[in-house]
Amino acid sequence: VSECSRETCFVPDTTCDLGFLDRSRCPAWSAQPSSLPVDGKTLDDVLLPWSGNALGLADISFLAGRAKPLTVGIVGPHNAGKTTLLAAWYLLLGRGLLLGPGRKFAGSCSLLGWENIAGGLRWAPGLQPTFPPHTTSRAGRAPGLLHLAVRDDAAEFRDYLLADAPGEWFKRWALNRDAADAEGARWLAEHADAFILIADREALSGQDAGSARGALQLLTQRLSAEYGTRPVALVWTKADIETNSAIEGAVRETVNNRIPDALEFPVSIISPDTTAKGTGTGLIELFDWVLNVRRRPAALPQSTASCSDPLFLFGTRTT
Amino acid sequence: MSERAKSVLLVGESGVGKTHYGAQLLKRLMKGDGMLRMRGAATNLDPFETALERLNEGRAADHTPTPVYVESIWPLEYDDGSKAELVWPDYGGEQIKAMVTARSIPLPWMRRIAEAHSWLLLLRLNKMRASDDIFSKPLAQLRQRTIQSAASPVSDQSRLIELLQMLMNVRGHFNGKPLATPHLALLLTCWDELQGTGLPGAALRAQLPMFFDFVVSNWQKPKILGLSALERALSPEQRDAEFASRGPESFGYVISHEGDRSSDLTLPIKLALVGTI
Repeated sequence: VSECSRETCFVPDTTCDLGFLDRSRCPAWSAQPSSLPVDGKTLDDVLLPWSGNALGLADISFLAGRAKPLTVGIVGPHNAGKTTLLAAWYLLLGRGLLLGPGRKFAGSCSLLGWENIAGGLRWAPGLQPTFPPHTTSRAGRAPGLLHLAVRDDAAEFRDYLLADAPGEWFKRWALNRDAADAEGARWLAEHADAFILIADREALSGQDAGSARGALQLLTQRLSAEYGTRPVALVWTKADIETNSAIEGAVRETVNNRIPDALEFPVSIISPDTTAKGTGTGLIELFDWVLNVRRRPAALPQSTASCSDPLFLFGTRTT
Repeated sequence: MSERAKSVLLVGESGVGKTHYGAQLLKRLMKGDGMLRMRGAATNLDPFETALERLNEGRAADHTPTPVYVESIWPLEYDDGSKAELVWPDYGGEQIKAMVTARSIPLPWMRRIAEAHSWLLLLRLNKMRASDDIFSKPLAQLRQRTIQSAASPVSDQSRLIELLQMLMNVRGHFNGKPLATPHLALLLTCWDELQGTGLPGAALRAQLPMFFDFVVSNWQKPKILGLSALERALSPEQRDAEFASRGPESFGYVISHEGDRSSDLTLPIKLALVGTI
């Protein structure tokens, strides 16, 4: 619980968002009654700007200070393998196998969030409609953005945010774009720089394959209306499972029709052979695609000159 | 070079061998046959009195109690005659772990971090978890994992990275540029415990690849050295007769960044203070 009157400040979990190391000098803080030490932290202790857990929407302002991070929305139904994908990436990162030659891990402000996911931590009880502004280090697993900084050989430094969001948001969003409990999905639709659309091969070949196909087609339609020109990857998770080619074909056709430039990636945590390092299937290739995502440059609106005089080129003439 | 006191931020969790290295370093500085030697006398040898005595007897020093933090100032002379003062601390390593766990930095530590000329991080690779770390599990096990209701302890790599990120944040280095200063030297202590030889950097990379990447991508010239302060394991109770008779100053070695073995235990400090040998 924040002790500051400012909505974007989460003292004593993280540091003063106005940058006052000595909290007593912050104008917003001084309005507060003097408080007792919390969690063994005294008022003199220096706090950090990040809690380590998955970043909330107010938390990312700190990161955005150095460069706008690239945000990747991982979109898919409940239990389709979104979390496993994130967990597998973190495990590969921890073994130094995720980033190809020429790229190096350069830090993360959500290490606890990554560890929670890789450790199989369940969602904290109570489904939230959107990303919280802030998640404390003790809050357990909450929807949020997982951060990763990567530096390449050309010394180019980039921040990536990968969305860890519950499948229920996307289910609601697919049915009703403006649903109150799909706010988080709407946030991603607006702010993500790229999308990973998850198709669960297990669900698409099981008993409820028909309804899984229907849900995925609905989600594809919604995404196709929202993605604009941003990159989309169609990711077949649990790719080691025997497929139902008719259903898979139907899904592929929907995606190809609605999002023609989507790239396909089959991924699995099962490695093709036992002699390899155990890097799964397609996981590294998909992450490489994520790393190569670039934001399109901003385009200025076209404007037509109304006269030949350079000083008054873009004005409107009223005669 | 001016005679301004240069402090080395000595960072090491408990059990990495801060006290043993401090005591051995002090002996070498007083003996004066290394790259650095003591000029005059240290202000305060209290923190190392017991440790020096224990080593002279051929026994291991006791664990430094958690709340202890003492500094002593050592006037030094380089082999080229220039002078410096080194502020050398001894403390209970639990303080470091507590900072990462509580995610807050006590004010005295903040000053030390902010003022230190260089950072010396002591790591004992053998003490890093190997079995119950999440990174040790095969990828395919992710499918059978049971959903946990409580967070599991964080991995060693992630804790060490968070520690360095905290230190960097205190120094205001968070803009993504690789750092030139403060110099960073990683000392892999108890090098004799690690089987096989090779470069210290390679040993670190093999055991903690994510942490290794973090270090080399955030510092322009990080140095990774191996250190065996005692060259052998001593017991707190049993005396090692050979160690006692030859004296602690005959034991201990450093493996340089390039892999060369040297018995000069002052080498990491010179590297930390000057940035090069």
